[in-house]
Amino acid sequence: MPEEAQGNIYDLGYRGYEGPRLGRGHAIFTLYKSSLRSAFGLGRGFGAKFFPMGLTVLAFFPAVIQLAIAALAEGVVDLFEAASYYGYTQVILAIFCAAVAPELVGRDQRTNTLTLYFSRAFQRLDYAAAKYAALATALLALTLAPQVLLFIGNGFAGEDLPGYIRDEWTQVAPIVVSAVLLCAYIGGISLAIAAQTPRRAYSTVAILAAFMVTWIIGDILAHTVERAIALPFVLLAPFHVMRGFTLYLFGEDPGTNSGLAQLDVHGAIYLVTAIAFAAVTAALLYRRYRELAA
Amino acid sequence: MPLLETDRLTKEYPGVTALDALTLSVEPGIIGLMGANGAGKSTLIKILLGLIPATSGSAKLLDYDVVREGLELRRYVGYMPEHDCLPTDVSATDFVSHMAQINGLPGAAARERTAEVLRHVGLFESRYRDIRGYSTGMKQRVKLAQALVHDPRVLLLDEPTNGLDPAGRDDMLDLIRRTGREFGISIFLSSHLLGEIERVCDHLVVIEAGRLLRADSIASFTRETGGLTVEVDGDADEMAKRLHAQGFEVTADRHILLISGSDDVYDAIRDEAVDLGLGIIRMEHRRHQLEDLFRAAANPEPEATHA
Repeated sequence: MPEEAQGNIYDLGYRGYEGPRLGRGHAIFTLYKSSLRSAFGLGRGFGAKFFPMGLTVLAFFPAVIQLAIAALAEGVVDLFEAASYYGYTQVILAIFCAAVAPELVGRDQRTNTLTLYFSRAFQRLDYAAAKYAALATALLALTLAPQVLLFIGNGFAGEDLPGYIRDEWTQVAPIVVSAVLLCAYIGGISLAIAAQTPRRAYSTVAILAAFMVTWIIGDILAHTVERAIALPFVLLAPFHVMRGFTLYLFGEDPGTNSGLAQLDVHGAIYLVTAIAFAAVTAALLYRRYRELAA
Repeated sequence: MPLLETDRLTKEYPGVTALDALTLSVEPGIIGLMGANGAGKSTLIKILLGLIPATSGSAKLLDYDVVREGLELRRYVGYMPEHDCLPTDVSATDFVSHMAQINGLPGAAARERTAEVLRHVGLFESRYRDIRGYSTGMKQRVKLAQALVHDPRVLLLDEPTNGLDPAGRDDMLDLIRRTGREFGISIFLSSHLLGEIERVCDHLVVIEAGRLLRADSIASFTRETGGLTVEVDGDADEMAKRLHAQGFEVTADRHILLISGSDDVYDAIRDEAVDLGLGIIRMEHRRHQLEDLFRAAANPEPEATHA
């Protein structure tokens, strides 16, 4: 009876927690999940969503444009290809990294929340791993997802779907591998930079510079100075390396007039460089957290 | 089993020794960690949490070695830092529940515990608002809630009343006392304010410049201070010496004698006053306050410092 229920105060008192206490895996997954959500501003206000969501939408543009034209023009249109897709979206990827990486790791430093994490049943390595995985996963939405859309869309746009799959299935492995490597690689670079400072403005500028300035310098040098001098600069430019290893994975040649073509380096060099970058930045990130006073 | 044991725990920073071979053994309960700013309170707490490494020595909390078994230990420890440590753009519910999950509680249990703990700290009404809009007092409550949410066996509270107004202080101290008594959780409470510790704790650990001055129960501290204050109209020092020779604990401060001892102290005071020809102006029971004792402990020779 509702009448009887009214006016009763239930003092349950304090109850201890007798349930299960899960281990580090659960903690890492929790942080991974919440970081992934905050990468896109989920669970936060509109302002936090604007940049990451908007950039994600932009990263789909080449795929959408391609499919729209294919639908209108009827027939095979190869405006944007999988192998060079990231060339069109690299600026978007750079801005996304510059906007999101400081959010993922700078905020906890700025608000001192890191102290709370590190005083829990949780290790510093766990923190770094969860953040790394979260940014790399978030980046998949801007890299792998448009590629998948493009791949499937192209299939349906053509007349002959089974034929398309028969001809193009070899593209699946390079699409997935290049996207995953790219995300780990640029995510690692961004986090290794962003973790150095709680100040968002600094890390945003530094990340943009790491991607865009190196790209421009590498491009200029590749065209002007001799190979031996230009090569180190190109290999230190994340987006040149990205272009190098995606072309290599897709088994294609760089355009004759491009910087990479001038250098004429075996594509595997770029692949190895990217893997090395991913590993080194992960190590730098861990080292930063191991030594960070909390 | 002692709650905390440290063995020659030392922390050296370049140019400063924050902890100087601190050896301690503390039984479970509500323990006040007392010392001036810079005495090493926060350093001790951070070493126990594994946030900073000790230079040498060892420490055991809840019988876990803080270095070797730190990960296991921290499942059962709640920590409320001295400084601000809260994100601004999430709600108290989201944040506390997130921290519960970081400490191993499954999602549903974390949400349930969060609601319970937020009610306990008195934040139930505003639990869905962003922390950004909280007052200092409310933020301190969120900090306490996140330290409690995983049902720790020991709470480490570093200056929990920092930045609070007097009413906020009272509320927070009351909350801490209830938390300790009702939940049966051991609490370390660091403070540089004796009054706070006196109100809440049943044990007191006093450190100064990284060294242990004293660790004992509050009761034993106050029992000893249950002495007499005697004001005389002449040279108190001579009288102090004589009483001291009879085995009473005496300190003299110009005309004031602070005497602790048994019942026969009255007769001794009377006899010595007559003997020295001193007039007794005032004689009263001292109020039981730790302040005096702390002062005595901090300055082993009060006569010298008060001269």
